[in-house]
Amino acid sequence: MENILRKKAKELLETGAVKVVIGYGWNRSKTRTTPVFITKPEDADRLVFNPLCVNNLSVYLTRKFKDIQALGKPAIIAKGCDIKNIVVLITEAQLQREDVFIIGMVCEGTVYKQELWKGELLPQIMPTKCHNCGVRNPHVADVIIGEKSTFVPPEKPTGMVFDKIKDIDSKDQSARWGFWINEFSRCVKCYACRQVCSLCYCERCIAEKNMPQWIETSAHPRGNLSWNLTRAMHLVGRCTFCGECERACPVNIPLNLINQKMILVVKDAFNFESGYDEKTHPPMIVFSPDDKDNFIK
Amino acid sequence: MAKTVEKLLKKENLDKLITSVKADGGRWIAPVTDARQVVFKAVTKHEDMASDYILARNSYKEVLFPQTEVIAEYSVSREGSEMHGVELTPAETVVFGARPCEAASLKSLRSVFTWDFIDEFYTKREEKLIIITVACTKADEACFCTTVNISPESTEGSDIYLKETVSGDYLAHGATEKGKAFMAKHGNTFENAPKDAQTKKLVMPEEINGIDLDKISERLKKTGHYEDHVWAELTRKCIGCGACTYVCPTCHCFDITDEGTAIEGERRKNWDSCQFDAFTLHASGHNPRDTQFKRWRNRFMCKMHIYPEKFNSTGCVGCGRCVRVCPVRLDITEVMEALSK
Repeated sequence: MENILRKKAKELLETGAVKVVIGYGWNRSKTRTTPVFITKPEDADRLVFNPLCVNNLSVYLTRKFKDIQALGKPAIIAKGCDIKNIVVLITEAQLQREDVFIIGMVCEGTVYKQELWKGELLPQIMPTKCHNCGVRNPHVADVIIGEKSTFVPPEKPTGMVFDKIKDIDSKDQSARWGFWINEFSRCVKCYACRQVCSLCYCERCIAEKNMPQWIETSAHPRGNLSWNLTRAMHLVGRCTFCGECERACPVNIPLNLINQKMILVVKDAFNFESGYDEKTHPPMIVFSPDDKDNFIK
Repeated sequence: MAKTVEKLLKKENLDKLITSVKADGGRWIAPVTDARQVVFKAVTKHEDMASDYILARNSYKEVLFPQTEVIAEYSVSREGSEMHGVELTPAETVVFGARPCEAASLKSLRSVFTWDFIDEFYTKREEKLIIITVACTKADEACFCTTVNISPESTEGSDIYLKETVSGDYLAHGATEKGKAFMAKHGNTFENAPKDAQTKKLVMPEEINGIDLDKISERLKKTGHYEDHVWAELTRKCIGCGACTYVCPTCHCFDITDEGTAIEGERRKNWDSCQFDAFTLHASGHNPRDTQFKRWRNRFMCKMHIYPEKFNSTGCVGCGRCVRVCPVRLDITEVMEALSK
């Protein structure tokens, strides 16, 4: 798989079809993968692909990364879940389909966090998204690498995130409030959740607007609540549940719970799931004269 | 060699010590397990403290330099406006279970907060701080203290330096006058050490061969390195979050912000990060560090050039927190290695 990947990357760079290949490489001790930007064909051999390739590299396609855009047309190594984010970027006019060459990787799951890796991909170290993945065979790609996956996701989504959502939903309002206030109390306002997210592509985030200061920068209960809820609201109907925010969070706030809950709400209300079709606009950004609800007309 | 004062602190006496500190109105901060990670937090009894850890996720710097604090309060009325500063009277704070690497960061923090302006919010807290370090018997691959000339044997910054004994107690060494006074004050918990006390073997992280601090320093002295391809090539993957700066024991940047209404409110001092793009954004719209790798370069410069040159102190203590916490696994030692060539 890696050899085919390297060959393809080399070919793309040699022919000038792309100027940079955004992919994964090893760290010095070959214990963790890390994003790499290959610009020379001879460096294509640095590319790797394995269950440690957790990062959703689509963040590097956003306008936050001007120096990467300046390199020229990119090819990106993407798992099905990463491609979902690219699809959202296309539907939101951040990207044209032809602006990026997608090297889709067939994926049988990744680890939830790289430090959990002990040499074998066991179900208990995989995130919930992998257990329910319907895109192990990439759904939008210019080339697909890997042997076709025969995995069929369970009809009813399963896994820790869904169990916890059910558990929280069963509690009364004050208990739910208590749960989130406690979780958010650890927030340090490092904004890793925002920075790692390819759908948080605003160059000036509302958290940085200080005349007036819409969201307090203080990491006190009020500031933490307003930041985390604002970000959650901005992702409604957009988030693909890639899980990067929760993985990046240095204080272990279970952001997957909020985001997956929002996905369930949107699915229920609009029968829409983001990231599958680049021609369908997410419900929150469209106006339709045929809208079935009257209040909007 | 100066005569060392070695005492035995029995594990069973820890509760007595904690109670005694708290009885005087003090705080006891130690690593505890919270939300699946080990963090420094206030504890009331020894059994709540984590024992099997490499080092806490956060640095104890937040005891000296809280993430958010009120420094002044204001009110506006028809008669005029009023603003008064907050007078700080901190309680004695004991940080137990720090590691030698982060203890060494104290000098660096002090040098910044007492440089041209004496920041009393820092100094008053530091006066009341006792750092009790426990030498490392565990390390992971992110640890690199020995590469930056610190080791589990370093006592710099520690008031009391502890080594675990084979029997699970601690051999205590008073490293500063403050530490010795603390030990004397709590003399009933610090017993005379038996001559044959056996301590656990300390774990020395392997020195990273390819790193030469002198070469890095030489290279950073010449401004020509700004154009070096190393920066973009190795660090453009940085996504610009502030995680590394917030867990770093020597990062110290803050921002002042007013919160409240037009009638009344408070002025707060909040952690800020040089990795945020708004950090150097000018009012004109110009940003001298307009791409992420330039911001990353600045943080590296701060650690490896500005701290040593300006304050004669170390900006990086090799604790490895930034490496562990980085969502894109940007390893500072890989950049150090590249710049050692």
